Amino acid sequence: MTDLLAPPPIPAALKKARDDFPILKREVNGKPLVYLDNAASTQKPQSVIDAITQYYANENSNIHRGVHLLSTEATAAYENARTKLAAYLNANDESEIVFTRGATESINLVAHSFLEPLASAGDEILISHMEHHANIVPWQLLCERTGAVLKVAPIFDNGDLDTDTYISLMGPRTKLAAIVHVSNSIGTVNPIERIIEAAKDRSIPTLIDSAQSIQHMKLDVQELDCDFLVFSGHKMFMPTGIGGLYGKRAKLDSMRPYQGGGDMIANVSFDGTTFKAPPYRFEAGTPHIAGGIGIAAGIDYIESIGRDLICDYETQLIDYAANRLKSTAGVRLIGEPSHRAGAISFVMNSAHAHDIGTILDTEGIAVRSGHHCCEPLMKRFGISATARASIALYNNHEDIDALVESLGKVHQLFG
Amino acid sequence: MNSELKALYRDTLLEHSREPKNNRVLKNADAYFELKNPLCGDLITIYLKVSHCIVSEATFEAQCCSICTASASMLTDQITKSDIEGGIDFADSLIESLLQPGISIANLENEEIQSLAGVKSFPSRIRCATLPWEAFKGAVSRLV
Repeated sequence: MTDLLAPPPIPAALKKARDDFPILKREVNGKPLVYLDNAASTQKPQSVIDAITQYYANENSNIHRGVHLLSTEATAAYENARTKLAAYLNANDESEIVFTRGATESINLVAHSFLEPLASAGDEILISHMEHHANIVPWQLLCERTGAVLKVAPIFDNGDLDTDTYISLMGPRTKLAAIVHVSNSIGTVNPIERIIEAAKDRSIPTLIDSAQSIQHMKLDVQELDCDFLVFSGHKMFMPTGIGGLYGKRAKLDSMRPYQGGGDMIANVSFDGTTFKAPPYRFEAGTPHIAGGIGIAAGIDYIESIGRDLICDYETQLIDYAANRLKSTAGVRLIGEPSHRAGAISFVMNSAHAHDIGTILDTEGIAVRSGHHCCEPLMKRFGISATARASIALYNNHEDIDALVESLGKVHQLFG
Repeated sequence: MNSELKALYRDTLLEHSREPKNNRVLKNADAYFELKNPLCGDLITIYLKVSHCIVSEATFEAQCCSICTASASMLTDQITKSDIEGGIDFADSLIESLLQPGISIANLENEEIQSLAGVKSFPSRIRCATLPWEAFKGAVSRLV
């Protein structure tokens, strides 16, 4: 019989990885930092920090427009990031990768440039009850503009998606099926393969919010065959302010520009303007060049460890965390999905999530307290907030043990 | 537990959060005001019954943390039987003393409420303490 409370062994490659993140050496409130807020933002390895510094110190210049050497080098470095991302996701072509500010902007881009011209009153957009606000509000705004209707598929009490109902809500007027791959607040891994398959059978385009899965597991967009996939760099060891949109080239070709400005045009005249082909059509103005360079370095870092190894280890670690928390006095998990990745939400009988967060902070432990930008999901569970522990490749069982021990102190104070 | 944490979770505050006073809906309220902290989802409603500019009854209901609950409990105690203007002055002074580093909460003549002073060492928790008082001001603004 497997001991559910046995700590998972740390692979050698990951033991070493902890040293790659300088921030993990600092203290918080006189205690070693235990960083368990990775679903909000991951820490950055030295190689990413160095790549950004190197760009600003030695290569800084604008891209796509200079003939001088610095601009040529910066352009090559930035476009290298696109090439790496395309390979990372196994996109068919690098032109299928659009740089954005992150997952939120990517969804807004799809709403504006893809769906709005297609949507009319009475058309439907399908999402689930466990979406992040980023995969709710852009669609609500679109519904206001077009008269389209937002359809919300329910979830079960354990935090699993009611996938049958999600699929049954796909109808002749469904213009897009959007779904979060991994819930940022309760860690549910949704069966996106089945959802995409069902949507394809009905010729419904799909959008996958992979903000919380891309750092935990391998994603192959050709195998998935989704139409769009969105993600944020800062949740995968890369800088803030940059992320991306994967879109099938045929879809991107059919789409109108997102923002207008420099770099996205073919020709400009007062009689009319023509636009570049994707992905540049959707990238107006000077982009986050340093961010792109940080993305390239981040991908190199992840690949140097290996995504399969990361995924296997994290799966064991999150299960260990769930089992430890379940057997901690006064703690109740919110959501016990059949397949979990990355995050665990919990509440305590005696202490509110903010009180838990404050006390853990004084112990050097960083977790997130609140609604995690998932107010409808919180309401579904009849609560206003949870405490959430979320892991990344550098976490280990000692981090989880420190969390559990400190929760004992919370229980003591409030119990 | 470190000294700042001890100062935050003083016994008075914990007692108010465990057994809050006037924690109920006031059905015949003359005014009520719901206020949410959008950052964390904390939600509080203050109910007031007022007669001749004197608060005859004040209650609250909330989905919030211990500090917000305790602060609301103390608020209802403080403003009951007080005149509206005095209540607003007190709320303004309390909010100012929590937000401004240089102003001491000890100037407020209510020892229990002074137990909220610990939030000043935890900037992310100050709004937890001020939320009920802001809701109270909102409720007053709705009185005809």
